[in-house]
Amino acid sequence: MTLSRDDVDHIATLARIGLTDAEKDRLLGELEAILGHIARLQQVDTSALAETAQVGDLVNVMRADEPDAPIGASAALRNAPASDGNYFVVGAIQGTDLDA
Amino acid sequence: MPRTISELGIALRDGSTTPRALLAEALAHVERSDKDLNAYLTVTRELAEQQAAAAVHMLEDHPETASPLCGIPMALKDVLCVDGIETTAGSKMLRGFKPPYTGTAVQRLFDAGAVCIGKTNCDEFAMGSSTENSAYGPVGNPWDIERVPGGSSGGSAATVAAGSVPYSLGTDTGGSIRQPAALSGVVGFKPTYGRISRYGLIAFASSLDQIGPFTRTVEDCALVYSAIAGHDPRDSTSDPRAVDDPLASLRAGVAGMRLGIPREYLGEGTEPGVRAAVEAAFRVLEAQGATLQDVSLPSTDVALSVYYIIAPAECSSNLARYDGVRFGNRVERASLTDMYLQTREAGFGNEVKRRIMLGTYALSSGYYDAYYRQAQKVRTLVSQEFDGVFKEVDAIVCPTSPSVAFPMGSRDDPLSMYMCDVVTLPANLAGVPGISVPCGFVDGLPVGLQVIAPRFEDSRVLRVAHAYEQATSFHTVLSPYASEAA
Repeated sequence: MTLSRDDVDHIATLARIGLTDAEKDRLLGELEAILGHIARLQQVDTSALAETAQVGDLVNVMRADEPDAPIGASAALRNAPASDGNYFVVGAIQGTDLDA
Repeated sequence: MPRTISELGIALRDGSTTPRALLAEALAHVERSDKDLNAYLTVTRELAEQQAAAAVHMLEDHPETASPLCGIPMALKDVLCVDGIETTAGSKMLRGFKPPYTGTAVQRLFDAGAVCIGKTNCDEFAMGSSTENSAYGPVGNPWDIERVPGGSSGGSAATVAAGSVPYSLGTDTGGSIRQPAALSGVVGFKPTYGRISRYGLIAFASSLDQIGPFTRTVEDCALVYSAIAGHDPRDSTSDPRAVDDPLASLRAGVAGMRLGIPREYLGEGTEPGVRAAVEAAFRVLEAQGATLQDVSLPSTDVALSVYYIIAPAECSSNLARYDGVRFGNRVERASLTDMYLQTREAGFGNEVKRRIMLGTYALSSGYYDAYYRQAQKVRTLVSQEFDGVFKEVDAIVCPTSPSVAFPMGSRDDPLSMYMCDVVTLPANLAGVPGISVPCGFVDGLPVGLQVIAPRFEDSRVLRVAHAYEQATSFHTVLSPYASEAA
């Protein structure tokens, strides 16, 4: 498995993690080593195996469609980095070319 | 306070101690020992004093029906939410975060009269096997403070090993309760997936995460497990079937039981001292009347690869919530995208970034089938192998960790750290219960024996571990920090 610096840039963009050039260089080597180790996974014959997403045997867990007591705006906003009244405050969404 | 929950329960009822006296003792012990150990991120003195006062009333009013945990000090891994108490998950991202609610397992302990003295240090977001990934510094192993206590629940293991509290809660995603229990010389139990509600647990990998206790004895472990187990409508993966009482069968012994030794769990990576201690443990179980036989779990080796796809994939999704908007820290930038990038760059440590990157890659377009889907299929194989083995034997016995506690800083390569979990993580992939119980020492460092049973046979795990423990005295040997307190 060979990974390129472009791959690292692409993954970091998808994951929304800012990384310095030095971090990207280090991660390139580390991810290659880990993926190299994990490559043995490809040798397992899985043609007859279903996927396991979860180990429990519960299916479609439902509850009555009744509202519970809400947590309340002030508790929900207690840890917000910035808020205004009953709202979270964030910066402008416009002006990004990240996904272009 | 090296006494057990059972012993303290008697002392509280015969009047020889009080919840306030036990609390004062525990806080004084932490004051003395934690300069060395760094096991605590927050000491919750005020909360503890309120809970001790409530416990006094519970014991006075209803001494017979009060929970065995009433009035007894304990500690919680800092990934477990407590209303209004700082909960950081060992990360800079959550410095100052005070959850607006308390998780179910924790609330059940509080309702039983538990006295919470603090939040324990851990690897950031529970990712690690040494507690060196905490943003707040590493935890010292009470047996040798130059060495790691294991991880990720290293603080919870160390505080019980040091004798500050008789029990604590940790979480286990790939071995994060059992491995530190082994390296710190205490009992650590990961129940069946679905037995303990994950509501109020800061998620790492949701299909693998499970809460469980650290204690000095298996009986104490059964007491804590009984208090926290059972269905919770707030966790849709929480199982509704009734929980049997593990104390009812705890003393039933292992005579006539068939115990399997998976060859692959004693591979060449196992240190000779660990191998010798565990093989001696097998002979003890045989002397108790169990029949031991070799069994095979051929996919053990590849299970590590499955885990290091599935756990990072789930973590990359779970940790997307730390974006500087609703909670956690924010790095202000003019554009929203720059705010995300800089917030996550500044807030996460190296191991968390590495796993988010790995998981994002495994889930990304073009690689999903080769990595994530393939890992999910091999996960099925790992589970099937356990099912097969449990047709031949009642439980599996094996080492908990291939090594004893290692020196801090000695495993700076990620892959060598990941190898720590090679004999614990298959149980998480299959959702089966597992425990680690002290089974010897190598040059003064503890070794753990692991017992694994089929799903929902949590009582059987405790029964086998108890039979072994009662036939040996390793659990009575105290770390230097606990001996001072005695």
